[in-house]
Amino acid sequence: MNQNLYQPINGGIVDIIDESPTIKSFVVVMEETFKFETGQFVELTLPGEGEAPFTPSSSPSDTKKMEITIMKVGHVTDLLHKCEKGQKVGIRGPYGNGYPINDFLGKEVYIVGGGVGLAPIRSLFLTLVERISDFKSVVCRFGAKTPSDFIYKNTLFGDWQKIEGVDIKLTVDQADGNWNDNVGVVTTILQPDDVNIPNAVAVVCGPPIMMKFATLKLLEFGFGAEQIYLSMEKNMSCGVGKCGHCMIGKYYVCKDGPVFTYDQIKGYPNIWD
Amino acid sequence: MQTVLVSDLKSFLDAVAKQMELYVPKKTGAHYIYNRYDPSADEPVELNNIRTCTPVKEFLFPLCELAAIYPESSEPKDIKQFAVFGLKDCDLRSLEILDKVFAEEEFEDPFYVSRREKMFIISSDCFEPADSCFCNILNGNPFARDGFDLNVSQVMDRFIIEVGSQKGKDFVDKNPGLFTETTGVLLADRDKNRAETQNQLEQNNADLKFDAPVNEIVENSQDSDVYDEEATTCVECQACTRVCPTCHCFYLYDTKQKDYFAKMKMWDSCMRLAYTEVAGGANPRKALGDRLRHRFMHKFSYFLERYGIEMCVGCGRCVDAEAGEVDIRKVLKKLYEELKGKGRTKAEVAK
Repeated sequence: MNQNLYQPINGGIVDIIDESPTIKSFVVVMEETFKFETGQFVELTLPGEGEAPFTPSSSPSDTKKMEITIMKVGHVTDLLHKCEKGQKVGIRGPYGNGYPINDFLGKEVYIVGGGVGLAPIRSLFLTLVERISDFKSVVCRFGAKTPSDFIYKNTLFGDWQKIEGVDIKLTVDQADGNWNDNVGVVTTILQPDDVNIPNAVAVVCGPPIMMKFATLKLLEFGFGAEQIYLSMEKNMSCGVGKCGHCMIGKYYVCKDGPVFTYDQIKGYPNIWD
Repeated sequence: MQTVLVSDLKSFLDAVAKQMELYVPKKTGAHYIYNRYDPSADEPVELNNIRTCTPVKEFLFPLCELAAIYPESSEPKDIKQFAVFGLKDCDLRSLEILDKVFAEEEFEDPFYVSRREKMFIISSDCFEPADSCFCNILNGNPFARDGFDLNVSQVMDRFIIEVGSQKGKDFVDKNPGLFTETTGVLLADRDKNRAETQNQLEQNNADLKFDAPVNEIVENSQDSDVYDEEATTCVECQACTRVCPTCHCFYLYDTKQKDYFAKMKMWDSCMRLAYTEVAGGANPRKALGDRLRHRFMHKFSYFLERYGIEMCVGCGRCVDAEAGEVDIRKVLKKLYEELKGKGRTKAEVAK
């Protein structure tokens, strides 16, 4: 018998962080060494209940533990939100391609994110800032529905903004009394001169509607379709390009993605749905 | 390839059944399905004229199977050698397609691969093709040229056995008493029978002659409304994908047992509404027409681009199983005629 593709590695939740009213981060420690590249995803099994795909939100350089940020949206995620520290879980993966960091070297990395889309972005961000001098700059434009919906608040509103070479701007759809920053969807804080486009790559991750309009805006600014990297969310299940659920056109998002350039997938129907 | 002669099919099958579990086609109503062969049963042995109703994938990738046990993993039970008799060329070509997916080097499905290694394939020539058979349109034949261990062709009241592999040769060598030598006359008869069946297929499908490759017709019709029109006659029974010998979508789910948890693997269908739905509710193929379009694009374009072969063998099972009115042949014909109607010449269609 060959190694079983469908066998999860055992692990457990060692910490749970409340990020927003609907989002929590789960710190997971595996019983075996588990390595991934930023942007790759894993299938997280809640024993006996089901599994779901998530891109870890921690840096791959932390090989002792992995953080997974999860929004409550369905059967498995609702149950995960009810879990406590010590809960046993299973992990399959990592699957797919990560962000092609080597192609970003020397460039301005323009990151547009929204909502729980900041989860894969956090992993990418941490990876970039670990070697920030290898990149021209890291320019982030993040949005959330309301200020309390921002995840990673402590670092996002604090330390991350102080890193040299990093430029972060935030916006919310609806402000509250304490919010003195931008109000409006994330595309309202994107400016054509945020980065020098010929020497930049853009990374977009967030709700489908945000990804669509952010991509269109970037194209309008003059970004080439091949300069825009999208982290696609589809119904990934097997993780290895067989079960078929996640197909966008000829691509298996699980195996050929989840990171695609807009150029790769722009010709296929309903990519934003 | 080596050929030998058998005068009695039952003695041949009995000899196979002595060595391994054997499955044979049995006529049930209008169709054939596979049954375990019982040498002691006092029933005539049937040579099926066409493929069975159920697809061969069932032997390698069952409707529902255990994919993993956790947290303590367990070694799956050993798979014993088994034989399947009466497979047709379309079935063998469907195995070639499934091998691409499940036996691919990087991500081998261990369950499929171990069963595939233990499968002894005894194919047989088709005679009297069904109205729904259209393998000749997709480079298939009513007889197998390769992909079998042994192939059976009936010639008058005797059977020519062709050896297609070392496993097949070993079987023949181990059972010298069963076989006699073939003659040139009998082989010529076999070729004549094959040509007649081929002619009949050609005649049955005379109106499916396209002057462009099927993949190009489908690729050039990506935006066609034909899919949306056809979808109005689909009742979403998903039978087309269940009986399809090349469709291989599946669904993984978890269950709780008394002492362990299990991951199960079950057939799924891209024609099902929730198939592409994510937990947040987004669904790229909500419209039935889009699901039908994807099914055709996957079969005739995407799979070909990835693996170098089309994902349809023209067996016509989906045509027989269809509870609505979607007929894969008619859809291809409509797409073709639509392209031609748009004034595209042969050369343009082929672009």
